[in-house]
Amino acid sequence: MTKSILSGVRALSLGVAAAAVMATSAFAADLSLAGKKIGVAVVGTQHFWDREAFNGALDKVKELGGEAVPVDGGRDNQVHADNHDILLNQKVDAVISILGDGAVEPKFEALKKAGIPVFTVDHLSPHGVNNTTSDNYYMGTTIGRYMADAIGGKGKVAVFNAFEGALRICGIRTGLWKYVMQDYPGIEIMQPELAEEFANAPEDARKKTLDLLNQHPKGTIDAIHVGCWDQPAIGIVQALEEAGRTEIKVTALDGGPDTLEIMAEEGSPFVANVAQQPRKIGSTAAMNAARHFAGESLLPQTFVDVRPVNGPEEAKAVYKELGYGEIK
Amino acid sequence: MTTSRPHAASLVSKSAMVGYLPLVIFVALLGYLSIASSNFLTPATFDLILRQAVPTIIICMGLSVVVMAGGDDVVSGGIDLSIPATAVLSAAIIAQQVTNQGTPLAAALVMALGAAVLVGAVNAILVVRIGMTPLLATLATSVAVVGIIKVVTSSRRINVNDPTIVWLRDGTIAGVSVSVVSTFLLFLILFFVAHRTRWGLNLQAVGGSREAAEVSGISARKFVAQSFIVASLTGGLAAMFVLARGSGSTPGTEENLLLEMVLATFLGAAFSPRRVVTLWGAVLGAVLVSALSIGFKSIGVNVFWTGCIKGALILVVVASASLSTRVASRGRAA
Repeated sequence: MTKSILSGVRALSLGVAAAAVMATSAFAADLSLAGKKIGVAVVGTQHFWDREAFNGALDKVKELGGEAVPVDGGRDNQVHADNHDILLNQKVDAVISILGDGAVEPKFEALKKAGIPVFTVDHLSPHGVNNTTSDNYYMGTTIGRYMADAIGGKGKVAVFNAFEGALRICGIRTGLWKYVMQDYPGIEIMQPELAEEFANAPEDARKKTLDLLNQHPKGTIDAIHVGCWDQPAIGIVQALEEAGRTEIKVTALDGGPDTLEIMAEEGSPFVANVAQQPRKIGSTAAMNAARHFAGESLLPQTFVDVRPVNGPEEAKAVYKELGYGEIK
Repeated sequence: MTTSRPHAASLVSKSAMVGYLPLVIFVALLGYLSIASSNFLTPATFDLILRQAVPTIIICMGLSVVVMAGGDDVVSGGIDLSIPATAVLSAAIIAQQVTNQGTPLAAALVMALGAAVLVGAVNAILVVRIGMTPLLATLATSVAVVGIIKVVTSSRRINVNDPTIVWLRDGTIAGVSVSVVSTFLLFLILFFVAHRTRWGLNLQAVGGSREAAEVSGISARKFVAQSFIVASLTGGLAAMFVLARGSGSTPGTEENLLLEMVLATFLGAAFSPRRVVTLWGAVLGAVLVSALSIGFKSIGVNVFWTGCIKGALILVVVASASLSTRVASRGRAA
């Protein structure tokens, strides 16, 4: 009896799942950007995350029959903001804008005034229709818990935190990491906090970490955390290896193939991360633009799944799962 | 003897041709962009080009004054590479004061201009008193100033919502952007000072021939020193427009400004009949450089290629300037 109920439930759930998949695919097939000129602005393409989100958006725009107008800020927030003026001038039908700091806000406002809807990626704006992003709240708290666990719930932590006040996503990630830290009275966040550069982050963080290690002898730092992304962590790990201080744990956020590979190395000080799916984020933003043109009303934010990464084995598993290949 | 004259004449005309080369390349590029991008030749694009060029135009005017006083040899003549960093430092000071300290904008601007003058004074001392070449001296101050920017801002962006800055960004006077109108007024003032006052004429005399100026009783050192102060002041004033353009101060903005300033100022020399750096030439140069940036983006050229093309153009501009001078001097010698 129980068995037959169970199999009935299973059959029903499979049926619902199949119907849901069909409904989704049928709906996805209806989506179109045919005849639309979509501006895609990205702050830079040097880093994996930016490049993937950018390509994800561009590919999806083309797949949906739209014409993509790409502009790249070359990792300069001012150039990125100015590029929106060019898209406005080109009279595109919509803009997908990836990252950017406060300099883009007046540009979004001008686009909105001209009747051009803006779909942001990782940038919540009152002038945007929708923002596609990872679950930054989950990222901030998860990396907080993982970091605290990695150092046994007590110790001194240095944090690279240049963008908490400048980018809302960083405010959420770092703010919630600090919120978790409140429950670990044994953990001290070292002051002053460090500020990494936006361009050349790995090399800049390497130098700053070497300086930090010179000022604080062995045994006086337990972890280094990067509040909003993980490009600086590449330089931090390099500095720790150069100085022979790999007992210091490193945690950060983003989890692209470059940093997952570092995490997967044996004895790597880089112990925890939360991996995002930037390509999916970019393509979702393009789908949202199509949904908007189809007359669908969008929620203010669309969240794309993330994968927590705790330790080298999970780094290898996530690397494979996200389609980056296989780490032996 | 009979053959030397035609030879000299052909060398002079060759020098003129070499001098015009950058201009020819630019005009050809712009011509191509107008064909490749359907909306390049529109009033809206022109307005955009001018608005995006504003900070570069202002610092180019400052650099022109230094070149006027120091002579236009790129290596041993007048040059000030620290103006972009000074502009970004002044912007950082204003942003830090207005947003984080609640200082009124006017007071913050005074502080920023004070800091700018200080940078100019350091440059002046290094070049005039210590005798360093301006290229190296101002490169060193530029690096130091970038360090100070990081200290002032803790390497962080600072948003600015001050109504005057917003007005500079969004306001218009008779349909023309406030930033463009203010820059034009600044140009008129500087043009008047450089070309219609005794100070300006003496400054140009010093740049033309330092020995001749000294013989007629003009202190070249004084004018060279003052030119660095004027240049830094233009950096301080450009800060207002750097802030307006970015709605705040962002560390790192100086890099792009430096590239555009050097390219625009020396490109501007191609407009002058004698191939020398002039105020109006620099302004036109800055507008052309902005037009190229916008044009390339409009036709979808990768941003790194744009950087590469700009770098190559700097080479062409500077090389043709030196070549033109060499050919001309050979012509005179012949």
